[in-house]
Amino acid sequence: MNILVAEDDDDTAQFIRRGLAELGHEVVVATNGVEAMQRLSRAQHELAIVDRMLPGLDGLSVVRQTRTAGVDIPILVLTALGRIDDRVTGLEAGADDYLIKPFAFSELAARVNALARRKPAPQQQTELEHRGIVLDLLRREVARDGAPVQVQPREFRLLEELMRGEGKIVTRTMLLERVWNYHFDPQTNIVDTHISRLRSKLNHGGKPDLIETIRGVGYRMACGD
Amino acid sequence: MISWPSSAAYRIALANFAAYAVGLVLLGAIVFATTHLVFSRQLDGMVTDESQELQRSFANGGEQELAKEIAAREASKSARKMGYAVFAPDGRRLYGSLQAPRPPTGHHSIIFHDPVEGKDEAHALTVDLSPRDRLVVAVDSDWFENVQNIVVLIFSFAFVGALLVAFGGAIVLGSYLQRRLNAIASSAEAIIGGDIRRRMPIGPRNDEFDQVAATLNRMLDRIEGLLDNLRQVSSDIAHDLRTPLARLRNHLERGVDEGGAAALLSDAVRQVDEVLSLFSAILRLSEVESRETRRQFTDVDVTSLLTELAESYAAAFEDRDRRLLWTIEPNLLVEGDRELLAQAVINLLENALRHTPVGTAVRLIAAAKGRSVRIDVADNGPGVPATELPNITKRFARLERSRKTAGHGLGLSLVNAVAQLHDGKLIMSDAGPGLCARMQLPRPKASPKSARAA
Repeated sequence: MNILVAEDDDDTAQFIRRGLAELGHEVVVATNGVEAMQRLSRAQHELAIVDRMLPGLDGLSVVRQTRTAGVDIPILVLTALGRIDDRVTGLEAGADDYLIKPFAFSELAARVNALARRKPAPQQQTELEHRGIVLDLLRREVARDGAPVQVQPREFRLLEELMRGEGKIVTRTMLLERVWNYHFDPQTNIVDTHISRLRSKLNHGGKPDLIETIRGVGYRMACGD
Repeated sequence: MISWPSSAAYRIALANFAAYAVGLVLLGAIVFATTHLVFSRQLDGMVTDESQELQRSFANGGEQELAKEIAAREASKSARKMGYAVFAPDGRRLYGSLQAPRPPTGHHSIIFHDPVEGKDEAHALTVDLSPRDRLVVAVDSDWFENVQNIVVLIFSFAFVGALLVAFGGAIVLGSYLQRRLNAIASSAEAIIGGDIRRRMPIGPRNDEFDQVAATLNRMLDRIEGLLDNLRQVSSDIAHDLRTPLARLRNHLERGVDEGGAAALLSDAVRQVDEVLSLFSAILRLSEVESRETRRQFTDVDVTSLLTELAESYAAAFEDRDRRLLWTIEPNLLVEGDRELLAQAVINLLENALRHTPVGTAVRLIAAAKGRSVRIDVADNGPGVPATELPNITKRFARLERSRKTAGHGLGLSLVNAVAQLHDGKLIMSDAGPGLCARMQLPRPKASPKSARAA
């Protein structure tokens, strides 16, 4: 994927560029807001990562003007601020996701993957399926190999997010945001607690574990060998 | 300290004086014009009356009678300096002693020759008695001018007097205002100079200046409190950061010696993360304390928020061999920030989870009580010594026995700050046995009791 990274701090820009390049993306770095705006308006990028504080033209203005210009690629905003209302203003400006510095690269990569999947808009799905696990999104029911599995609503939402990840990593923070709607990090790992309950329900009767733990990062649905 | 022309006090006093002076000049002009008008009319009346009497004499007795009358009047001297003359058409004076040329008919000011004072001005009425006789009755307007001169003189004196009084008043008022303001300014200068404990002097009268000084003092108290807090926090941060950073340094040094083993590096990353999480906790705390987030307060359904939290955390308690029990009243509403309230309750729950022994039961109880909503997190663990209770909500406060467990000692500070942000409070008490943390939050003003629907 062709990704624009608008970041004025050279170390951070290179950290992101190298990481994304290793994942097979083409990365162009813009070091100020005006340059970022010019590149984005040429519409050759498929995704943009924009730092909130850029010299020349600040990140939020870049996002706003990009949207006004009709460019609708996914945009992830990076910020060192992390104040309570920053996320809201970022999303209101037209950003699709928001990540607070400092971040682990795995977190950024997972979010880039998620944003890339979000485009193009998936047709209205009523069912998700992964190696025998079937989620009925309308009835909120889970079945594995044809047998129904009783899960709590929150466990259903966790499984749904993992299945939508299509085998890509979904981080703990992403799960906290999407399932619990918390934008802070509780010390107790409630995500792990609930995943382990979901796991034991899904694997009941000695079935193989299909939820893979990525240590220190998050989870993904295990792919077939 | 403040120069004359730039002093607002003097400017105000002098402007006040100028307005006073203009008023005085106007009043003088009005008095002058009025007396002028009144006296002119009176003179007109005097000469008209006199002239009419003489005309009657002429009509009754002819020239002889008139001449007699005039002579009698001139001899009496009782009347105010009236002058009389009858002129022939050729300008010759026939009777009377008024020494003046023959004037035209009607009311006029004339110049006559006074045997004593010389040339003088008089107010005269001239009428034709017959084709031959023209009667002039005149009255000297000297005394009238004198009266007017006196009016002008009185007002001049009054004006000069008022000028002196007002000017003196301006100086007194100006220097008074300046003295009061200088007292405040010099205290401010002392504070600027570093004496931050200095306060504005407050007089016994409780006037405007004293009230301003009292307000400034309260502001200074607040600023000093914030400064103290800031100083305390910076030294706490410096202290609390030294430990993990020193540990990190040792780790990295060992990593360098051993050629950067992967395990050491990932350990170092974990330690940096710890420091960073301490930083974000500090930032979040100061953000909440700044009260900026109040702008986006909405009605928060506390019942569903707490139920959700309890259900999410019950599993975590169970995994650690403790129990979470909850009793949450329906329809609890608080005006506030959902995330911050959630974080506060989570901090209380995590506190109970972390600082209690295995087997402890923790209760989450939420209920409306009067005008407030109470959220209690109580455990039946060992509790906190009564002497420590007031300290545990302070920043970086950690009981001696919990020094070795994880955590940065900011959890309860945040709960406290969140409660205060919502105009509520955090009360720590002995649950006998155990610790009870109560968040007491005000209910919204117009409590929509009827909003029973989900």
